[in-house]
Amino acid sequence: MICDDFVDQDEFPVHVTSMTLSCAAGQGLAALRQALAEQRSGLRTNDFPGCELDTWIGRVSGVEDIRFDPDLAEYDCRNNRLALIGLEQDGFVQAAEALRKRYGRERIACVIGTSTAGIGTTEAAYRDLGEDEHFDPAYLLPRVHTPHTSAAFVARVLGLNGPVVTISTACSSSAKVFATAARLVDAGLADAAVVGGVDSLCLSVLYGFHSLELVSDQPCRPFDRARKGLSLGEGAGFAILEKTPEQSLGRLLGWGESSDAHHMASPHPEGAGAGAAMAGALKRAGLDPQAIGYINCHGTATPLNDQVEARAIRRIFPTPPPAASTKGWTGHTLGAAGIAESVFSLLALNDGYLPAGLNLTEPEPDWEDFILLEPVEKQIDAVLSNSFGFGGSNCALIFGREGA
Amino acid sequence: MNIDFDILGAGICAPGLPDWEALLTALAGRGLSEDRKAQPSALLSPRERRRAPAAVKLSFAAAEQACAMAGLEPAEPVAVFSSGMGDLQITDYMCRTLAEQPDLLSPTRFHNSVHNAASGYWSIGAGATGDVTAVSGWRDSALVGLLECLSRIHHEQQPVLLVVYDDVACGPMRDLWPTEQPFCAAMVMARPGNSAAVSRLQATVGRDRDPHDELPEPLQARIVDNPAARILPLMALVAGHTSGPVTLAGEQGLSLEFQVPIP
Repeated sequence: MICDDFVDQDEFPVHVTSMTLSCAAGQGLAALRQALAEQRSGLRTNDFPGCELDTWIGRVSGVEDIRFDPDLAEYDCRNNRLALIGLEQDGFVQAAEALRKRYGRERIACVIGTSTAGIGTTEAAYRDLGEDEHFDPAYLLPRVHTPHTSAAFVARVLGLNGPVVTISTACSSSAKVFATAARLVDAGLADAAVVGGVDSLCLSVLYGFHSLELVSDQPCRPFDRARKGLSLGEGAGFAILEKTPEQSLGRLLGWGESSDAHHMASPHPEGAGAGAAMAGALKRAGLDPQAIGYINCHGTATPLNDQVEARAIRRIFPTPPPAASTKGWTGHTLGAAGIAESVFSLLALNDGYLPAGLNLTEPEPDWEDFILLEPVEKQIDAVLSNSFGFGGSNCALIFGREGA
Repeated sequence: MNIDFDILGAGICAPGLPDWEALLTALAGRGLSEDRKAQPSALLSPRERRRAPAAVKLSFAAAEQACAMAGLEPAEPVAVFSSGMGDLQITDYMCRTLAEQPDLLSPTRFHNSVHNAASGYWSIGAGATGDVTAVSGWRDSALVGLLECLSRIHHEQQPVLLVVYDDVACGPMRDLWPTEQPFCAAMVMARPGNSAAVSRLQATVGRDRDPHDELPEPLQARIVDNPAARILPLMALVAGHTSGPVTLAGEQGLSLEFQVPIP
């Protein structure tokens, strides 16, 4: 049941006015554009400390070297170090400061998606557990061992004092932040929002996805016939949403949120929920399917996920637009996947450069007509980004070019 | 900025507070209903109930009560599950196993470790194909859940089910989350104009922590014990026990003030 009411575009414009992303493929937009142009993946053989699994990972270099100021020490964990790296790219802190001057800190929402949050530090605390079953005092950080750690941290660093919200719906988390923030602004609970997603590599996800036999021992190959599973990654990305912008990187035209109501870890075989999310986003945007110029797929590269997503796309789009997954560059950044792929979608919208998937040489017949094998240079007016997660949680976003 | 809304139904599940009747009894100063337990979930089979993760066991009873009072099928409303810490039993299992024998990690318990496990199982059990989401605000989770629901009510037509829960920690996490009693409350919220509404309320944005009427001692103790129970003064307002206003103050960010709107 997607919402039935029609939303008038002019009454509800939310624009993306700043954005940034840091992941294995690069830190900041310039590095990411270069990695896209050079077809250079950020994946490497697994070298995550304490993990012996034979796999490839999208690890961000230098997270370990970040040192927090003493006043932020209560937030110190890998997720928040990665968040800090992300915030420091593309002038994002300065953009948030200007936003604060414009609207006031009380009127800016901070909505962050995450699935891992600070669990890597909780894991470490258990590894170092003494005989007495108590954490070492160094790990007694209540603001780290909660799913809310990164939303609280980002609001603290940027000095935001409006609604501070964590969305944690596995791999759809940081797509849903756009919908939540847009609703908060529409309801008058905020005038603008910082949204984002942060997820960091940890043993929970490395061994967890391995236990589900969803991890490839090779770099992931989304939509290739020989795909064997996903490569795990990490990332931090952020965007600013405003109603009346001085500049716009794209307008949030629509979103669709749905549930599979099927299984905790496997998608609905026909992609019912995925299709409902895409259809809901199109309906809210008031767009026909042919208005979409590019789809950034969820495309995790597990055998089943890619098949189900392609099936759902074909059901909603009689003639699917060019589509690809960018996970070959980043790995699957889980709770940060939504923001990562929103940023890639907005880059496609602004640059007129539609990336193809990496490591994709032989598509299946089911999708060879629309999954890109080579990048395409083409101006598009609207782009759709898919994010699907455990719990059957689906979110599709549509961004449109300003003036189109 | 005011948001008017109706409460169509409410539910509660905590030791001594197995349902709405028990809450009314406690609000009337007649103590906790220690001898009664919550009705078992109708959405889960006995086998599923035994195998269900702790977060599911804790959250479903109140959510089902709220839907029943609202006269809605559980699949009908949009659902917002809010919890500060999620499933602390699974956190303990995951971290302990990863420290000792990571190769033996259970795939089922891994996929149940996501923060949206309770909401995901709700969607599966209820057959809810609309949006079912999971949010967190650490000790502000009641407030964060309400913010998410209020913005949805403003924006969309459908009723919204809010489920706020937090469990007790096990093992070393007890030092960080010293809560001693699990707590879950649920409310079905909707745009105003429902003839069968339990109550009509108005929410406004506030900044200060206004004092609310003191609740009877056993309820006051729960508010101190479990951050999810910070929703109790609002439940008391819904029950007509107080006339408000009631403030739910964020430790970080804004606060919400609730009152019965002046006609």
